[in-house]
Amino acid sequence: MADLSQSGIAPGRHGAAPEKAAIEVANLSHVYAGAQGEVPALEDISMSVGAGHFVVIVGPSGCGKTSLLMMLAGLRAQSAGTILCHGSPIPNPDPRRVGVIFQEASLYPWLTALDNIEFPLSLRGAPRAERRQRAEAMLRLVGLEGFGGRYPHELSGGMKQRVSIARGLVQDPPVLLMDEPFAALDEQTRMTMGHELLRIWSVTAKTVVFITHSLTEAVYLADEVLVMSARPGRIIDRIAVPLPRPRTYEMMATDAFGQLRERIWHQIRKAD
Amino acid sequence: MSRAQIITIRLALLALALAAWQLLPRQGIVNPLLLPPLSDVLSMLGTLLKRSQVHEAIGVTAAEVVVAFVIAVPLGTLMGVLIAESEYLGEVFKPVLFYVFSIPKSIFLPMFILAFGITFAQKVAYAAFTTTFVVLMSAATAVESVKQEYLLVARSYGATRAQILRRVYVPCMLPLLLEALRISMIFNFTGVMIAEMYASRTGIGHMISGWGENFQMPELFAGVVLLAAVAVLFNEAVRFFEARCSTWRT
Repeated sequence: MADLSQSGIAPGRHGAAPEKAAIEVANLSHVYAGAQGEVPALEDISMSVGAGHFVVIVGPSGCGKTSLLMMLAGLRAQSAGTILCHGSPIPNPDPRRVGVIFQEASLYPWLTALDNIEFPLSLRGAPRAERRQRAEAMLRLVGLEGFGGRYPHELSGGMKQRVSIARGLVQDPPVLLMDEPFAALDEQTRMTMGHELLRIWSVTAKTVVFITHSLTEAVYLADEVLVMSARPGRIIDRIAVPLPRPRTYEMMATDAFGQLRERIWHQIRKAD
Repeated sequence: MSRAQIITIRLALLALALAAWQLLPRQGIVNPLLLPPLSDVLSMLGTLLKRSQVHEAIGVTAAEVVVAFVIAVPLGTLMGVLIAESEYLGEVFKPVLFYVFSIPKSIFLPMFILAFGITFAQKVAYAAFTTTFVVLMSAATAVESVKQEYLLVARSYGATRAQILRRVYVPCMLPLLLEALRISMIFNFTGVMIAEMYASRTGIGHMISGWGENFQMPELFAGVVLLAAVAVLFNEAVRFFEARCSTWRT
């Protein structure tokens, strides 16, 4: 399957030239203290995500994908190894460098959609008018114009995740980390949201690291898919996805798509 | 059914009950010695409210209620937050507190009398004791309503500890805390009344139990009407704020 990358299918718009890495992880390992002593969670992870690339991480449950993402976000410290984001480490969360979009239900139910989006800006005391203007712009970007006054419980699952994405984008960080953002959505909404995410990505040119369990979603979204092993998590395969962009739903029916999906599935089964 | 219809029916039922209260004893269908007509009770209430002895009693009871509340609410909230936030304290104390919570608190009243005598402090201590448990349980529930995700999101956006407290904990817990405040006042008021009726030299509860023993039914019912009105007013006032702070709750 390795020949796919040389098969002449044009890589994504970002894939061609060697570029500066937005995220560089070198020899990262993590061990946590469990009930029966130390448990190795992540082992010798090295990865590089080019600026503007869309990288998807897949792997069996409990392989440490989310832990890795938390470390990239500066929310958790690793035991060993280095993480560089545009050349400098992230010891603490820095929302202007890295935005995080979480699994479902991470919106604050006591804030309206607009106030949720403004939340990161209000934390650093941005002026009210500027906040509102930014948040309105993000709301338009994610296609929710006119829904700013709704509370989360008045929005559908897909709309809630659009608000989450807007909240992640509101400070315009060059890097977006997404932890299974569409896992709780039904299949149809999930596909639509994936497509929407690609649209938003293409207009904002962010570097994205995206975690998912869905292989279809992985192939559909990614420039590159990283496959992780069961605990302790290691990266056991890197699969370039040379499907052209913009991606279309029809591509899912192609052989190339099927083969990529099959290869990832094969690796995951081996990993589990 | 529309909102207006429901309200109309409610008011009609209330009017019916009040009319029955007035007419049944007047017509002799109910013994007016046991249930004096509403008009007699209300005029008695007017008379009572002019007596300085009653003013004093209201003052004492109000002071007991307020002091007990001011002790129990912060104490209960603090303890509730501690057992909900600290895994260790939670493990150790939660089961014990749940056991004690299930016991009817009034059986401890004689001990409070032995410890404090028949005093202001006895009423306050007993009421605060019963109320603290309610506040504690509600506060622990309120803290547990703050999901881990909410905290993670705030941290990922660089929130400081103070910001997390003010922007996440407080708004998330507020509706539950207001509800706790409301319910704890019910327990607090009950605690003071029981303590006063059981053994006291003053206070509205003491007067009511005295009127009951002396078969002074108009006075007794006037006292009941007065206390009911105060309790309902407080409850509704807090509920009003509660509703305003919890539009986001489904």
